[in-house]
Amino acid sequence: MFSGTPYLRVSYAETNRILPEPYQRVLVAAIAVAAIVLPAFGNAYLIYLLNLTFLAIIGSIGLNLLTGYCGQVSLGHASFLAIGAFVTAILANRYGAPVWQALPAACLVGAAVGFVVGLPALRFRGIYLAITTLAMHYAIIFILTTYQANFGSSATAGISVPAPALGPYEINGGRAWYYALLLISSGVVLFSLNLSRGYIGRAWVAIRDRDIAAASVGIPVARFKLLAFVCSATLAALAGGLGAYFMGVVTVEAYTLELAIIYLAMIIVGGMGSTAGAVLGAIFMTLLPFGIERAFEALPHAWRLGTTSYGLQEAATGVAIILFLLFEPKGLIEIYRRIAEYFERWPFRYRELQPAERR
Amino acid sequence: MELLVSILVLGATHALLAAGIVIVYKASRIVNFAHGELAIVGAYVFYSAGLITHGQSLLLTVLATAAISALFGVAIYVALMRRLVGQPTFVAAMVTIGLAIILKAAIVVFWQSKSVGINLTRQTLYSFPSGGRLTSVDVITIGCCIVFFAALFAFFRHTRLGRQFRGAAENPLLASQRQVNVNLILALAWATAVFSATLAGVLFGSRSMLSPQSTIIGLSGLTAALVGGLDSLRGAVIGGMLVAAATYLTARLIDPALSEAVPFAILLTVMIWRPWGIYGTPEELNRV
Repeated sequence: MFSGTPYLRVSYAETNRILPEPYQRVLVAAIAVAAIVLPAFGNAYLIYLLNLTFLAIIGSIGLNLLTGYCGQVSLGHASFLAIGAFVTAILANRYGAPVWQALPAACLVGAAVGFVVGLPALRFRGIYLAITTLAMHYAIIFILTTYQANFGSSATAGISVPAPALGPYEINGGRAWYYALLLISSGVVLFSLNLSRGYIGRAWVAIRDRDIAAASVGIPVARFKLLAFVCSATLAALAGGLGAYFMGVVTVEAYTLELAIIYLAMIIVGGMGSTAGAVLGAIFMTLLPFGIERAFEALPHAWRLGTTSYGLQEAATGVAIILFLLFEPKGLIEIYRRIAEYFERWPFRYRELQPAERR
Repeated sequence: MELLVSILVLGATHALLAAGIVIVYKASRIVNFAHGELAIVGAYVFYSAGLITHGQSLLLTVLATAAISALFGVAIYVALMRRLVGQPTFVAAMVTIGLAIILKAAIVVFWQSKSVGINLTRQTLYSFPSGGRLTSVDVITIGCCIVFFAALFAFFRHTRLGRQFRGAAENPLLASQRQVNVNLILALAWATAVFSATLAGVLFGSRSMLSPQSTIIGLSGLTAALVGGLDSLRGAVIGGMLVAAATYLTARLIDPALSEAVPFAILLTVMIWRPWGIYGTPEELNRV
């Protein structure tokens, strides 16, 4: 089959491929191989960090579907994660449900909550919607706090979750978790990519760019906005449920508004409306605090002041959000695009006036 | 009587917070999510300024804090908000969220998140024959609120700059073509907002201890602003009082633990029933 340059696509199938360029396929294959063999070399700490990253990737892709593609700003993502974690923990702890029942149940409840939280999106746009989701966040967290206070021996103990088991195999230890999470997050990435290049994803992008125009070309705006909330909440609940199993204990204190903001920071830093961007952002924002901690340990002892390191880790999220919004509003993925474009066009430097929309 | 005083005092703080949010929103359509953080950091600055002057001169402390907060407001506008002109309002709101995180971390870095209280005056109790009681801090709180709002209303109604401010809020492009310095107006809006936030924070800190967790008062301020209408100063006063009354009555009559949930319960109710608030204009919903 005739294969065009990035600027000459000759068929619809070619326009719509996930990895249109040969070098991209090589790159992804290399990343896949590296990811599979990495546990053989990395130490336990690195694998733990990567496991956290995989969980963040699932969550950030969920938020990206809603905020990146569909343009509905949500400050309620942490509450979706909390719902997933609590449903999983309650089912596993109280009713002894196995993982293949607890996780789908968590996703279903997450979807239902997402539907309810999404209802105000039919009335509001932009900031008003963000404020509504903020209120929803506090409402959900308040309910869960009350539940947790009445659950166990003490109000802050949380709910413990047994290690998940599939038949005779129990997922325990960093390496087993690594492969399980690698598999699941790859599946989620593929799901998001397929969703975004199909009818649903393009309908979301149309709604994001101008909802009235989207309605005028026959897209049922209300239905697709709700669908975005449902998909986003389902993925968040999945991430929350997996996180509950991974951590072994669920406490409501972990699901603060700050967490929701960190997830927003991930998709801003990575690049809104791009699945690869959500992945990059999740990696960046998860590793950033640990990087700062490391940098601080390298400093001479006299410079290490009590709470300064902790404070700087906290501030890093805010700094990242502001710097990226001011100087690289399209995120890390835009840096990659610029580099890729430079080589694709080399030795020419002419740029399109309207760069083609690419994933 | 005592109930009324308590509500008035709480409402005064909420109204001040809401006023800051409303001023920024009116001038630039930006919802400031960092308002609670600005208030608490302002209160911490006041506390430190008090330490530097050894509590000798209250006037000096007040002046220093007022100058710092106003300058900080201008700095926020010049360094951050001015660069975001032409971007969707959501981007500016996200920047204020980032600012909120940085400010909260600043409390950790500079003040080690320690709990501090602010001593404005000697505690004096004024008793009324009807049985009500007022502390001196209550008097200062209500007094500051009245003076601030009176000054603000007078400024908007009677000064040239105030009229220009209203013009710029209505239509920045047209205002700038009529020789209104929109940059100055917006910087002024931020300075006033941060100043009023600091004032609210100091008043809050003189009645209860300050800690990084007290930044949650921003939510009460936002709720008050929304209840009154995001683009209405009059609404900020009414909204502040309503939110304070609801919070206080819930704590008093039903359950103190429930009172934390009241601001967002009101927020949800308002958003469902009348999203533009009491005095706000419905068209605002489509402008953001």
